[in-house]
Order: sequence, then C-alpha cells, then structure tokens
Amino acid sequence: MLLFSINPHSGVPVYRQIMDQVRYHVAAGTLAPGQQLPSIRELAHTLAVNPATIAKAYSELEHDGVIELQRGRGAFIHATPPSMPRDQRRQRLRTLAERMAVEARQTGADDADIRVALDQALISLNRKRPS
Amino acid sequence: MNDAVIEAIDLSKTFRPAVVAVNGLDLRVPRGAVYGLIGRNGAGKSTTLRLLMGLLRPDRGTAHVLGSDIKDAPRETRQRVTYVSQEQQLPWRMTADELMAYFSQLYDQWDTAFATDLVRRFDLDTTRPLGTLSGGDQRRVAVILALAARPDVVILDEPAAGLDPVSRRQLIEAMIDFLGDGGERTVLFSTHILADLERVADHIGFMDRGRMMLSGPLDALQGGMRRVQVIFSGDRVPSGFEIPGELRRRTDGPVLTAIVRLTDPDQVNRLQAIEELRVTEHSLGLEDLFIELMERDPHSMGDLQSSPWWQHA
Repeated sequence: MLLFSINPHSGVPVYRQIMDQVRYHVAAGTLAPGQQLPSIRELAHTLAVNPATIAKAYSELEHDGVIELQRGRGAFIHATPPSMPRDQRRQRLRTLAERMAVEARQTGADDADIRVALDQALISLNRKRPS
Repeated sequence: MNDAVIEAIDLSKTFRPAVVAVNGLDLRVPRGAVYGLIGRNGAGKSTTLRLLMGLLRPDRGTAHVLGSDIKDAPRETRQRVTYVSQEQQLPWRMTADELMAYFSQLYDQWDTAFATDLVRRFDLDTTRPLGTLSGGDQRRVAVILALAARPDVVILDEPAAGLDPVSRRQLIEAMIDFLGDGGERTVLFSTHILADLERVADHIGFMDRGRMMLSGPLDALQGGMRRVQVIFSGDRVPSGFEIPGELRRRTDGPVLTAIVRLTDPDQVNRLQAIEELRVTEHSLGLEDLFIELMERDPHSMGDLQSSPWWQHA
C-alpha cells in the first residue's frame, strides 16, 4: 500500500499535504489511472488525522479532476489526469525554481551543479514512470 | 448559522472574589467539527466547558449545546452530549466493567463493540476497582465511557494532559475512530499542548484572559498567515517601510521579519518584484501562530476576528 506521510507542524494544511502527495504519485506514475485510493476511514486511521481532512483532500482532488469519487465504492485515480492551466503552471514552476535556487546556493553549489542535480532528478522520475 | 451545535454568546463568569474567568466569550462550534480550544493555563478554557455543560451558572450570556441550555434540555438531548472533566471522579469501588454495564443502560446509542475495542487498545484491566487504577487509566476509562456512548457531541477538558506521546496517539486514534467518516459527530476539547493537535483539529479557538482572541477553520488560519522576511541591500531597513498586512515585525539591521496576514494572493509577489529586495516566505505552524498571537496585546486582536481572510474561507 502507498505510503503517505504528513508533517502536522509544517504549517502547510494537512489536506494540502495529502493533495500534494497524491499529485506527486500521479506525476511519478506510482499511482496509475483507475487505481483505487485508501478509503477515508482507512487513511484517517493510518495517518491519525481527522477523517474530515481526508474527505476535504479527496473532494478537492476530485474538483481538480485528479481523482474520481464513486459513491459507495471509493476514490480512484482519474483515467485522464488533468494538466494545470498554463498560467498557473508557470507561476508554480517559478516558485519551485526560486526555492530550489536559493536552497541549492546555500549548500555552496554552483549553477552547473544545480542544473545537473535537476536533470538527474528528472531522469530518475522518468525512469519510475511506466511506459 | 443554524448548523452550530455549540454556541456561546457573551458568556461571562466571575468567581469570588472578583476573579474574572470568562469574559464576554463568543464561541461557535459547527456540526462535524473537531474544535480545539487553546490557551495558556488560566485562560478560562475549563470554566467555559463547565459553563457549556451547565455545571456552572453564567453571570451573563448564554451557552447552548444542541440548541438549548443543557440544564433545561430533555433526557433525549442530554444523552447526546458527553463530557470528560480534567479531574474526573469515577466511583472508586466500581470496576470499569460494572460502570460500562451501567452506562449501557443510560445511553441508548451505547456501542459495546467499540467499548470493548477501546479497552483492548488501551490495555485496561476492567475487573479492578477504579480506585486502584492509575490516574492515567482512570482518565482512559472516562474517555471510553464518553466515546462509546456514541453521542453527537463530546466535550473533553485537557484530554492529553499528563499523557506520554504513545498514549496521546492512542487517544487521537480513539477520537478518529469515533468520528467515523467525519462530518456528523462533533468534538470540542481544550488543551494547552499543541503537539498532535494539528493532526486532528479542524477548527481552532485561541482563548486568552477569558476572551476568544481568534477562531476559525485551521486551514484558513494557517493559509492566511505567513512569516515573511525581507532583506534590504543597504545596512538598515528604510524607515517607514511596511509590508502590507503585517501584524508583528522585528528588524535587525537590513533584515525585516514580519508576521503577515494575507488578504490577496499577490501581496508577497509584489514585494518579490522589487529588484533590490530579497524576500522569503514561510508557512506558520500552529505553535508559531500560537506564540505570535499570545505575545500580542489582546485588545488589538479584534480586527483579526472580523477580517475577511478566514471568514470567507
């Protein structure tokens, strides 16, 4: 079974952390289209978080088209996961890149080291993805 | 507005001689919420809960649970509300088994299977007189009684106080199992321990000196506040420079650190667009938020309560 992990002290709302991880697993291919997610009760118990929080994460993911909630059956990864609108994606990427640039520079890495590290991360992500 | 299962308006209680415990408190707990009432020792949390349970008479204001003053409520309503006080007095000659058998007669929704499951998980000896159990075990028995009665509303006063991390986790798991799929049953608990709270609470009320300083859904509270650091290229922060929405600030040479209330998504982006500034932005954990808020003068907090950033969230 998939491992989700949450950090309740990070200041990022717990439902957001769950959404981000589902999105990550979909992007990495470890959650395949049609695959079933744990039930609300099950995940609430495993993570020791409020079931309403899981329900909120699932319903937002459904709204974003990442998963499909089937009454009485559970939550499933959508057959065709959506891509973000272009503006939003550009904004998101900029934020991520800035954070990475700042933190990477603090380690003493130069521009080339940072680019290589990012390339390697992309290569290993693509390798995990089936097909 | 009718979906509040617990509602206090202008609730006030003064103990003789002139110790103001609760002072014009407004509290609203929506159905299905897991509401954490947070505050330092002496903030008035326990008194508030006792007022809600009708164990104390308010000097002013009203305290309603499931739509009425619980003292005046019929038995059908009262058995839908359970309460565990901080110093729970259990009949010390009785065993937990006997007490549970008694409760199963009192509460129509009593869930024997759930009670048995909790006893097993808490690893309790239910055949000994309650007076011979440790304080922690007595509290566990009280929690089992409160949850296995399957009420609509559970009120717990400092349930985590004095428990080690493993026991706190067991308590949270019991609470989560009680909630089922969520959305129906309501839990109100007081605490001054923030650890683990962020996992389970979805609504928070900060109390200080008998008043509600800030309350709302946890997501909105967290999502609406940021710690923002701005570093100027010179050797000091220019006088008069303010970050829009800042609540608290600290300056150290060219570094300005502020707690900022977000009112629009581009607030921080606009700062980042200014070339000569280096701006970083961090989320605030509940503990940071608590410390930041509690250090603030409570009389200037009113603007937060009426601010739009969490009410519309």
